[in-house]
Amino acid sequence: MSVPVDRSVVGQEFDRTTFPPVTADDILAYAAAYGETDAGWSRPGPDLTAPPTFSFSLRGSHFMPKNLPTHLGRHAFDAGKDIEIGVAVRPGDVLTAVSTVHDIYEKTGRTGAMTFVVFRTAVTNERDETVAVIDQKMMFR
Amino acid sequence: MISFAVVEVGDDLPPLRLTLSTEQVRAYAEAANMPGGRFMSDAAAQAEGLPGQIAPGNFSLALFGRLLTAWAPAARLSRLSATFRALVRPGVPLIASAVVTEKHASDHGAFVECDLVLESGDGDRLVTGTATLAFD
Repeated sequence: MSVPVDRSVVGQEFDRTTFPPVTADDILAYAAAYGETDAGWSRPGPDLTAPPTFSFSLRGSHFMPKNLPTHLGRHAFDAGKDIEIGVAVRPGDVLTAVSTVHDIYEKTGRTGAMTFVVFRTAVTNERDETVAVIDQKMMFR
Repeated sequence: MISFAVVEVGDDLPPLRLTLSTEQVRAYAEAANMPGGRFMSDAAAQAEGLPGQIAPGNFSLALFGRLLTAWAPAARLSRLSATFRALVRPGVPLIASAVVTEKHASDHGAFVECDLVLESGDGDRLVTGTATLAFD
């Protein structure tokens, strides 16, 4: 018999990180790493902006909350990701990422019960403009 | 240059064909600040119970982004979503492809929706997804 999902942590903020100013080198290294060829994202110069998925390179201090329910499962898998992309990132921008537990739910598949936890990270710049909202779905079993 | 007017539901985007090297996977993981051993080497990945080095899930989304924006450079990628169905590993031929599933325009703008798939050369669907492109 499965344990009911404890949703008490839903809505909890577990990380808030403000990063050093984005550099042109950060952008160029990220773009080069996946083979980007668009000049606007891969060529140094005054028009350089970061490619749409650049926010994936921001790593906060905590990947997930410390007080997740312990009965979720012994193994965690990265099940998927959604990103809503806002304003472009430019060299010099100061980005802040705030991560919360967005949802917890159960599903039963062919191999048994699984619990999914969705972590939402909202990224804003120093003008408080939304740069990205990222939902990361982790599967526990 | 692709414009909203010429896009039709059912259009196939030019696929992206590539084979990731171990160095490329490591370079992406480093540039994306994902220092997990599973992304760095076969030995570290095997120590975690995996068959060998794997690519971060974010790498697949970055490739989808590259596919979409190369097709429609005048559009803005506004949403990208992916489900990770199987491991993406270096040395495996990959094909990233997309098809237009919907187009709609309103006071909020002109948008094109796409279905996405990253599959191996053997036809295994490793990552599936959807995306929205916004046209001016």
